Amino acid sequence: MNSLVQRFDTNNALSEIKRTSAIIEEDGDNVSDLMWGSYGGFGNLATGIPKFNIPAVPDPSAFLRLHTDDHTDPSCRIKIQHGTTTLAFRFKGGVIVAVDSRATAGSYIASGTVKKVIEINPYLLGTMAGGAADCQYWETYLGIQCRLHELRNKERISVAAASKYLSNLVYSYKGMGLSMGTMICGWDKTGPQVYYVDSDGTRLKGDLFSVGSGSTFAYGVLDQGHHWDLSDEDAQELGRRSIYAAGHRDAFSGNTINLYHVKEDGWKFIGNYDVSKMHYEGPGDIPGAPGHGYGYSIRTAGKSSADPPTS
Amino acid sequence: MAAAATVYNPVGFDFSNQIRNNFLADRGIPLPKATSTGTTIVGCLFKDGIVLGADTRATEGEIVADKNCEKIHYITESIRCCGAGTAADTEFTTAMISSNMELHALSTGRKPRVVTAMTMLKQYLFRYQGHVGAALVLGGVDATGPHLFTIHPHGSTDKLPYVTMGSGSLAAMAVFEAQWKPSMTREEALDLVNAAISAGIFNDLGSGSNVDACVITATKTDMLRNFVKPNERVTKERTYGFRRGTTAFTKEEIRNLVVHEEIIGVRDDAMDVDGS
Amino acid sequence: MSIMEYNGGSVVAMVGKGCVAIASDLRLGNQALGISSNFQKIFPITDHIYLGLPGLATDVTTLKEQFRYRVNMYTIKEEREIEPEAFAHLVSSTLYERRFGPFFIEPVMAGLTKKPSGEYKPFIAASDLIGCLNFAKDFVVAGTASSKLFGVAEGLWEPGLEPEDLFETISQTLLNAVDRDAYSGWGAVVHVM
Repeated sequence: MNSLVQRFDTNNALSEIKRTSAIIEEDGDNVSDLMWGSYGGFGNLATGIPKFNIPAVPDPSAFLRLHTDDHTDPSCRIKIQHGTTTLAFRFKGGVIVAVDSRATAGSYIASGTVKKVIEINPYLLGTMAGGAADCQYWETYLGIQCRLHELRNKERISVAAASKYLSNLVYSYKGMGLSMGTMICGWDKTGPQVYYVDSDGTRLKGDLFSVGSGSTFAYGVLDQGHHWDLSDEDAQELGRRSIYAAGHRDAFSGNTINLYHVKEDGWKFIGNYDVSKMHYEGPGDIPGAPGHGYGYSIRTAGKSSADPPTS
Repeated sequence: MAAAATVYNPVGFDFSNQIRNNFLADRGIPLPKATSTGTTIVGCLFKDGIVLGADTRATEGEIVADKNCEKIHYITESIRCCGAGTAADTEFTTAMISSNMELHALSTGRKPRVVTAMTMLKQYLFRYQGHVGAALVLGGVDATGPHLFTIHPHGSTDKLPYVTMGSGSLAAMAVFEAQWKPSMTREEALDLVNAAISAGIFNDLGSGSNVDACVITATKTDMLRNFVKPNERVTKERTYGFRRGTTAFTKEEIRNLVVHEEIIGVRDDAMDVDGS
Repeated sequence: MSIMEYNGGSVVAMVGKGCVAIASDLRLGNQALGISSNFQKIFPITDHIYLGLPGLATDVTTLKEQFRYRVNMYTIKEEREIEPEAFAHLVSSTLYERRFGPFFIEPVMAGLTKKPSGEYKPFIAASDLIGCLNFAKDFVVAGTASSKLFGVAEGLWEPGLEPEDLFETISQTLLNAVDRDAYSGWGAVVHVM
C-alpha cells in the first residue's frame, strides 16, 4: 500500500530527488548559476526554487515600491510590516533568541501577538523582521530544503549551510522587493551558531545580533550584559531584558516577548512575557530575574524634587 | 513684540508660523487635514421669499467629525448664509461679514441689503484668491425683494432662483431641475428643499445626518434647526457599563473647590457677632 | 508621516450626568523613539475648565502659555472668570488668526458652566487646527489615536453616567484606543469634574 501511495505522491522526498535529478540530467541549462555559483556540491537543487509571477513592467521593484512604500506615501494600499525588535546571541550555553510580538501598519498596531520566531526544525530557528510574509514563506521553504539535505546526506545541515542557502535564495530575487532581516540560529557539529541574513544578500557570522527598528535599544542592554560565560538563567534574563528595553522605548516594538534557548539537543521555548507586566512587576520569581519590575520608576521614585518621597 | 503688549493682536491673519511650516512641508511632511464640510447646501426662491437648506455633517478626511453641525449662518435678521468647504473659513468669514453688516446697518440707519453682504463676501474672498475656502449660498429678503446668490471661493457670484453647492450639489440640483417651479407656496418650497438636501444626505458620502432649513420672508425669519431627522440613532439595546474599580490607577488627587476659612478672634469679643 | 505623529499623543473628553471628564496619554516621542512618559497635555484653565492640547509638542508649550496669558487678560478686564463657551471661542479665534500658518494642535476642552439656578451644566468642545469648533453632546477626541478613540467611544459611551462610571468609561476608552496606536500611550491621566 505504501508503494502505491508513494508512486502517486508528488511531494515525497524520493520523487523530489527523482524530479530534480531528472531536471539536472535532461535540462541542465535551467540551473541558475546565480544560485550556487557552480554545480559543485549542491547543484542538484538549483531549479527547485519556485518561480513567481513578476509584474510585466520594465522595473518591477519600482512598481512594487510605488504601491507598498508607506514612508513616502501613507495612503498606499499595501502596507508591509516594518517595526520589530529581534535579537540572538551566542554564549557557552547555546544561543538565546528573543523577539517582540508587535505588528504595525503605519501608526496602527495591527497585532500584538505575532510569532516572530520561525521554528525551521528542532535545531534551527529563524527570526522575522521586515516583510512578515517574506520571512514566513522563505524560512518555511528553507525548512523543507534542510529536511531534504538530511535525507540526502544522512546528517543535519550545518547552520552555515542553511543560512547560505537562504542568502543565495534571496540574492537571486535581489531588487525585486523582498524585505527581510533575519537571524538563522542553531546548534551544529561546530557548536552554537548565529548568522545574520538579509534581503540585500548580506550574510554575517557573529556572536550577537539585533535586527529591527528597536535594535539600537536592545543592543544597549545586550552589549553591556553580554559575555561568553553567562549562565543559562542570566543569558535568558539578558535576552528578556533587552527586548523589554526596545519594547518600551520603540513605538513600533512591544506588546510581548518571546524567548527561545537553543542547546545541543535543539531549541526550547522558554516563555512569553508581557512588556507592560515586565515594566511594573518583572518576570517574577525566576533565577536571573531582578525580583521587581524593569521600569525605571523603581530606581527613581522618591529620589528627586519632581518625584518626592511619599513618606 | 509690540503685539504682545496688548490682548488684541493686529487685525488680519498672522503669518509668523509660515517659515517653519513651509520648511516642514518642503521636507515632505503633509499638513494635517482641517475640518471640512463635504456638504449639501441649497437655496430656493418661492412666492414670499427664500428657503435655505443644509445637511449637518462635518468631515475630517474619511472621518465624520461632527454629526450635527450648523451650516446655516446668521448674517442679519433677514439674511442668512449657508457655508460649504473649509469649515473654519465658512464660520469666520460669515461671522466677520455679519459684524460688518451690523455696523453698516448702524451707520446707515437702514436695513442692509442682500447685495451688500454678497459684495462684501465676494470682495473678501477674491482678495484671498481662493485660499479662504468658503463656498457659500447667500439668501435673504430686503427692501428690493428676495435675493439668492451663490459665492465661490475665488469670489465669483451667481444670482439664480434656485441654487445648490457643496459635494452634494449635483444630487440636490437634480431634484431642483426636476421639480422647481416659479411662485411656489412656503410648504411646497420647504418640501422641495427637504427633498434636495435629502438627496445629498443619502446619495453623497460627504453629506449626512439631518436637514436644517431656514425660511426668510419680508416679515419673519424661521430658522428650522433639525427640520427633519432621517438618521436618528436608536438607543443601544445593551451597554458596556464597567464595574466600578475596573481601571487600576497609581495615584488619585482630589481638588476641593470649596474654600474653608477659619476665623480666629483677635480680641476677646471677636466672636461676639450678635451686635449687642 | 504627519506632523501630528512627530511627537504623538491623544486626548478624549466625555460628558456625564452633571459631570465631565477629560483624559490624555502621557507620551512625548520623537517619532518612534519614546522620550518622556510624563508629558502634560491637559492644562487647568480655571477651576471649571480643562484644556487638552494634543499635537506638536513645541506648539503645546507655546499655546498653553498663550492661553494662560489671554485668559488672565480676560479675567482682569472682565473682572470675572471666563465661561467655558467664551473660552472655546477664545481658543477658536487664537487658532484661526494663524489660518495660513497654523499651530499643529487639535484642542479639546471640557468644563462646567454655571447656570442661573446655581447648578453646573457639562460642556465639552473640540477644535481642528485652524479653529473650527465642534460642540458635541457626547464625546470629543483628538490626536494620533483619534480614529481609534472614535471607534471605542462610539461603542462604550452612554448617556447619564455618574462621575465614578464616567471615570471607568473614559479610562477604558483611552486605554484601549491607545493600545492600538504606536504613537500614544506610556501612561495616562484622567480628570473628572
